[in-house]
Amino acid sequence: MSNQFEHRRPTELEDKAHAEAVRHFAEHLKQFPVSREAVERLERDVAKVTLAANMAAARPTPHQNVIQADDGAQWHKGVDLMENIHLCHRPITGGAEYAVVEHFPARGTYEIWNRGWNAVEVLKGFTQEQRQALQVWTEDMNAQVQEFLAEKFPGQDLSRVADAFIHKCTTQSVSQKQSHDHSHEQKHSRGVRI
Amino acid sequence: MENIPQTEAAPSTLPAERLAYSIQEAAEMLGVNYFSVYRLIQRGKLKPCRALRGKLLVPRTELLKLLATE
Repeated sequence: MSNQFEHRRPTELEDKAHAEAVRHFAEHLKQFPVSREAVERLERDVAKVTLAANMAAARPTPHQNVIQADDGAQWHKGVDLMENIHLCHRPITGGAEYAVVEHFPARGTYEIWNRGWNAVEVLKGFTQEQRQALQVWTEDMNAQVQEFLAEKFPGQDLSRVADAFIHKCTTQSVSQKQSHDHSHEQKHSRGVRI
Repeated sequence: MENIPQTEAAPSTLPAERLAYSIQEAAEMLGVNYFSVYRLIQRGKLKPCRALRGKLLVPRTELLKLLATE
């Protein structure tokens, strides 16, 4: 999805609608880039993470890093992949088995995403699923923004606003967001109207 | 995914017996971030329904099923 505002300047109404959407969906704008970059980092660092997991599997695991997953087996936390998600291993005859395990604090459980003997394959399978989850998020966000705009500005064609919002959300980096927030704060602190 | 009527309310004023919740509300109730909820949906652990325009809603029964201790 491209930024529709690059082709023709937004109207006053589109500007207003975009600003309201950005304000209303601020949490999406904050969380999506963080999650997207976490997935991109994993995709980029498959070899590095796998090496770390292999090395972790080759040495003793501290007691506090041993968990019981939903398959009933004990797993050793090797590498932290994301918040509450770990690449784990457990010794088996002739080597190690690897699994991506997610901790659900609300349930107090550790659930296995995928598992296998090849850490690279396990990790790649996981990152592919994360990509699909980001796609589900993008589609839902698009539906939410369209609903919001239709309710807030009934009868107006604001499809360019929805497209621009999704483009902003799916392409903006965390550092861009932080720098924008910072400059926004500075402008406000100087009393400049935005 | 079935279409069901949608109701919205601020998280602080959630009626106890809502039929379905938005992703934001589901994330708050589960104590996880948005991505975790979308991951649960992608993985089939939470089966959402769709409101008008395709917005995802998480049925209350799905949340209870997920939280039920095994």
